[in-house]
Amino acid sequence: MSGYYKKWFWPLALPGLILFAAVVLVPFLVGLFYSFTAWRGTYFVGGSAWSSFVGLENYARIFRSRQFLHALLYTLEFTALAVVSIGAAGLLLALLLDYVGKRVALFRTVFFLPNLLGGLALGFIWQFIFQNVFTEMFGEGGLNIAFLTNMTQDSTKNLFALVIMVTWQMAGYMMIIFVAGLNNIPRDLYEAGSLDGANAWTKFRYITLPMLMPSITIVLFLTLASCLKLLDQNVALTNGSFNTSMLSLQILRTVRYTQPPDYGQAQAQAVVFFILVAIIGLVQVYITKKKEVDA
Amino acid sequence: MIRAASSEVRKPAFRLPGGKVAAYAALILLALCTLFPLLFLFVNSFKDQGAIVARPMALPREWSFAYLSSALSQIHFVQAALITAGITIAAVCLIVFCSSLLSWMLVRNDSASSRILLLALTAAMLVPFQSLMYPLIHQFESFGLKNIPGLILMYGGFGLGMSVFLYHGFMRSVPLALEEAALIDGASIGSLFFKVVFPLVQPITVTVVILNALWIWNDYLLPFLVLGNAEHKTLTLELYYAKMLAGQFSNPWELIFPAVLGSIVPIVVLYLFLQKYFIKGVTEGAVK
Repeated sequence: MSGYYKKWFWPLALPGLILFAAVVLVPFLVGLFYSFTAWRGTYFVGGSAWSSFVGLENYARIFRSRQFLHALLYTLEFTALAVVSIGAAGLLLALLLDYVGKRVALFRTVFFLPNLLGGLALGFIWQFIFQNVFTEMFGEGGLNIAFLTNMTQDSTKNLFALVIMVTWQMAGYMMIIFVAGLNNIPRDLYEAGSLDGANAWTKFRYITLPMLMPSITIVLFLTLASCLKLLDQNVALTNGSFNTSMLSLQILRTVRYTQPPDYGQAQAQAVVFFILVAIIGLVQVYITKKKEVDA
Repeated sequence: MIRAASSEVRKPAFRLPGGKVAAYAALILLALCTLFPLLFLFVNSFKDQGAIVARPMALPREWSFAYLSSALSQIHFVQAALITAGITIAAVCLIVFCSSLLSWMLVRNDSASSRILLLALTAAMLVPFQSLMYPLIHQFESFGLKNIPGLILMYGGFGLGMSVFLYHGFMRSVPLALEEAALIDGASIGSLFFKVVFPLVQPITVTVVILNALWIWNDYLLPFLVLGNAEHKTLTLELYYAKMLAGQFSNPWELIFPAVLGSIVPIVVLYLFLQKYFIKGVTEGAVK
């Protein structure tokens, strides 16, 4: 039997493996190498890739670049805020749906709806809402909350504008994952809790949360990854004006703002970006998996 | 997995303050907040620039389709929608074909090297596109693939990691005995896969299709890098150029709102019809 499958391994696995090598593996390794060279996109300074090897120079330069460091920090700040905000909103929606129990299909449809739309389309709608509707509503003569006016024209305010927007967009997705998680909690745990005199909060804290850990792992993984890599919404809302570039946009713009386009430097930024995403992703999975076992 | 929608009466996990009325009220309020930007978009797609800016929240005095039709022709709606649909369908087929076969072979040839391959494929989910896009585009360009076929291949490669991960997890539960029985009955490798294995993993195929199609349909960056301002653009790309060529601060909203509306209608309609599969796809994808 195993001989039969062995015989077929290469013919059947090859299309996928070739595709993976050509699109992901090779460009990734090449990119790693190029980050140590003076690559200019169409040519290498000094002729060939080998002779334009500059060691760590690209890395030294990006860590002196204020734009890059700002984008790095901005991305981390945004991700921290957005992950908490999306997770909390998703959980709240799931708990409400779980609580009412019946006639939830319509609500589920509505809450998931924003996930279907691209970040660019959404960003254009929200840009107008932040610029015109919010500014009108929260401006002088309105509710007078200066922080919520002209949110797309200030670095800090725009951070929160982005958080509002992605929470609106992604909460429904996380809600679906949490609803599935809540369904898997045996109801008699709660009955036992009630008999022991636990109130709603204690039950939430000591039954729901620990039992939801697998869902929380997934939600964290999904939100962390998509927030760290966020690009479309960033492009649509401000396109990086007012110091609002996140890392993805910064890497994209580096080759436009340098003359001749400094692909070597952009590539070094991209490698740092990869290391950041990989470390955060692995640490998160490790920690939450450990909690799952403990719980 | 998703039993919340079924009609069985289930006790809630715990009581919330205010009872069911308060919970329904909160849900309705949140649903309205969720719908607001979309209703807002809809209403403003039928107004002229002056009315949009002066009274963004008001209903149009008269519902004019002029803005919608001029926006749709400016973003070449029919052509762009067909191109986007073509790319999405081709790429999703490529992903399903390659990743299901690859996963099957990895499951049935369980060895140290298949485990390393699987690890490499799943680890690729952590690689941000930015860290390889420039070399990728550069290489594909030198092979004459900086075009729509190249774009489809790129999506195929990119979707592979997550899809193999999903298929592999699911295929481990397919009993080997079933395949052996089919082989004893004289099944060829083709009918073994397409008549036995593939139908059994159909739930996860739904997930793979939905998750990849959503992402590819809406993707902006890859078409931007590969196609740019070429003649044949995807919907998202048309939208981007419609907005960007108008300048960052002179916003022709009477063009942008109807263009956005047009670009999201196909996927929303599809969702309303295939809702069950969307929700199921997302749930299955999350429960590893």
